[in-house]
Amino acid sequence: MKKALAVARWEYLERVKTKAFIIGLFLTPIIMISMMVLPTLLATQEDSSTKAIGIIDRTGELARPFAEKMESRYTLKNGLPNYLVQVIAGGRNDSLEVLIRETDQRIRNGELEGYCIVRGGAASDTLVDYRSLSLGDFILLSRVEENLRAVISEKRAAARGVSPLLLKELQVRLDLKSVKLSKTGKEEEGDFIKIFLSAYIFMMMLFMLIVGSGQALVRSVIEEKSNRIVEVLVSSCSPTQLMAGKVLGLSALGFTQIGVWAFLGIVGTIQFGVQVMPPWSALLLIVYFILGYLFYAGVFIAAGSPLSTEQAAQQVTSYLVLVLLIPIVIAFPAMKNPDAGWIRIMTFVPFLTPTMMALRIPIQMPAAWEILATVLLMIVSIWGIMVAAGRIFRVGILMTGKAPNIAEIFRWIKTG
Amino acid sequence: MLRVQNLRKVFSTVVAVDDVSFEVERGEIFGLLGPNGAGKTTTIRAILNILPADAGVITFEDQPFSDQTRNQVGYLPEERGLYRKSKILDTILYFAELRGMKRAVARAEALRWLERFELADGTKRKIEELSKGNQQKVQFITSVIHDPSLLILDEPFSGLDPVNQILFKDIFQELRQQGKAIIFSTHQMDQAERLSDSLCLIHLGRVVLGGSVREVKKRYGKNALHIEFEGDGEFIPSLQGVQRSIVYGNAAELDLEPDARVSELVGILNSRLALRKLELREPSLESIFLQAVGAPTAGSGEGA
Repeated sequence: MKKALAVARWEYLERVKTKAFIIGLFLTPIIMISMMVLPTLLATQEDSSTKAIGIIDRTGELARPFAEKMESRYTLKNGLPNYLVQVIAGGRNDSLEVLIRETDQRIRNGELEGYCIVRGGAASDTLVDYRSLSLGDFILLSRVEENLRAVISEKRAAARGVSPLLLKELQVRLDLKSVKLSKTGKEEEGDFIKIFLSAYIFMMMLFMLIVGSGQALVRSVIEEKSNRIVEVLVSSCSPTQLMAGKVLGLSALGFTQIGVWAFLGIVGTIQFGVQVMPPWSALLLIVYFILGYLFYAGVFIAAGSPLSTEQAAQQVTSYLVLVLLIPIVIAFPAMKNPDAGWIRIMTFVPFLTPTMMALRIPIQMPAAWEILATVLLMIVSIWGIMVAAGRIFRVGILMTGKAPNIAEIFRWIKTG
Repeated sequence: MLRVQNLRKVFSTVVAVDDVSFEVERGEIFGLLGPNGAGKTTTIRAILNILPADAGVITFEDQPFSDQTRNQVGYLPEERGLYRKSKILDTILYFAELRGMKRAVARAEALRWLERFELADGTKRKIEELSKGNQQKVQFITSVIHDPSLLILDEPFSGLDPVNQILFKDIFQELRQQGKAIIFSTHQMDQAERLSDSLCLIHLGRVVLGGSVREVKKRYGKNALHIEFEGDGEFIPSLQGVQRSIVYGNAAELDLEPDARVSELVGILNSRLALRKLELREPSLESIFLQAVGAPTAGSGEGA
């Protein structure tokens, strides 16, 4: 036991001091938070200067009213109009193609932000093109769409003799507010994007945690094998002690990481009042993080110890990464129906349980029996994988040259 | 101290070590000899319990290998390597701890050894900043720091400059005087001859020769004629009365047949070569090895 602790201490201290770890420790949450906050922040940012947009309307019916609406409805903070709309008519004989070519050029010159081309008049359903160098301004796009639609409706209404006032009355403005119910009866305003992102972020964090330290583990085993340190290690302590030490050290490393992240999360919650999730869910997530971490520590040891080259290690870890990616890939359909049978079934595959739970818990708390059963399943799986990993490790750690095939590895596990 | 009996190890189809037996006593430097690929490293790995033996018994002080044993052996593997990115002192302390040493004790010992190897300054430096030779010294320290009663060194001199070879040899002698047993492997016969008290010569996985150096020499104890000369010595092997000979550029060792007429032979040599030195003494290990390997009847079954 003392020797296992010595190994653990070494593995922990040597790893925790590396730049990669320290950077990952703080960079991962920063990246994750930016992923969550930045897009919404950027998308809702208001313009700070007037944007010039153009409209080509061969029917001549829609351009003017559209321009009026756009210019009058939106103003900048300093009181200037947000948009200036130029009606682009061109020469009488210019074909549409020529006009488009000329206007495209003006956009490239920076004279215009973008312009729309209305094909067809108010009487028919209309196809409108919007051409611009950047299509990232969602607000502008939705405003163009909204105002064009309004202009067309008004035109049609006028043609049928409906007064603009009546039209206004007929138009329905609807805001959909979604409320997430929890089993305990508490209700919580749910924002799809927010829930989705937080589920996604927890999965990504768990993923990065496991992959990062798993790769570090495999790399260290291969280094020890290639420079034969492993011979000295194995003559100093038993392979079981060595492996226990490595798992322990690695776990301490992972828990340091989880601890720092949880701390940042708590500080963030208190400081900014952003509560990503109720404390119970967070606690449960940490449990799954720890279980997943331990499970994959065993998997990486079992997979990594028979290898002797960096290339082989990369190949094997990339397969494991693929397995870990499955829940991330299915995150979107899972969001829509977190209670679907296949999602429940996948939750009970030990390789996927932690990430699936990281996905499901923020969306909808799974039933108590599911949580209990998966936690038990994980504990049993961790025990199983550690026993198997120990048997593989004992033989594999001293193997050099050609990696053994699966059948051979199973024989090691069986013969113990 | 250490007893190896009928050790056998097979790798899939290759018999790496076959029926190897020897004993090493306290206060003894034991040379494990043999050409490359003879089975020296496999034997060492089996002793250290790194590889399980297929057959045979290995005991330390009449006890089988146990966790206690681990703390009493020191090991320098043939392929040298340490954690490149780690600090010198940290590395030594880690290996010391793995051999059951207390950290505080280990620290004092480590500093003492580093002093001895003139590496005391810069214990905070990383391993990768050291030269190859100095890395080897650090690795040697990791194998002796816990004061093992049995020290196993696989090709300890390879890659060392002459000055450090002498330093290592001095340390071996000191350790021997302290009653430690030292096993070292080498394929250089002259080195083994000068350094070891006993030896075991392995060839193709089998023991060809074994016992104390004096005994072995006595057993093959016909005198040999050692000469140094100027001229072309190519004719030497075909001389009457020469059973076997090793001819170098300007030196040769001649094993004589029992009834060889020494004075006649010296006369011929003297007439055809400009002799600088002529000596009748016991044969070198190298000559014995060649004799044993070349004539299997003389060597097989001679194990201790």
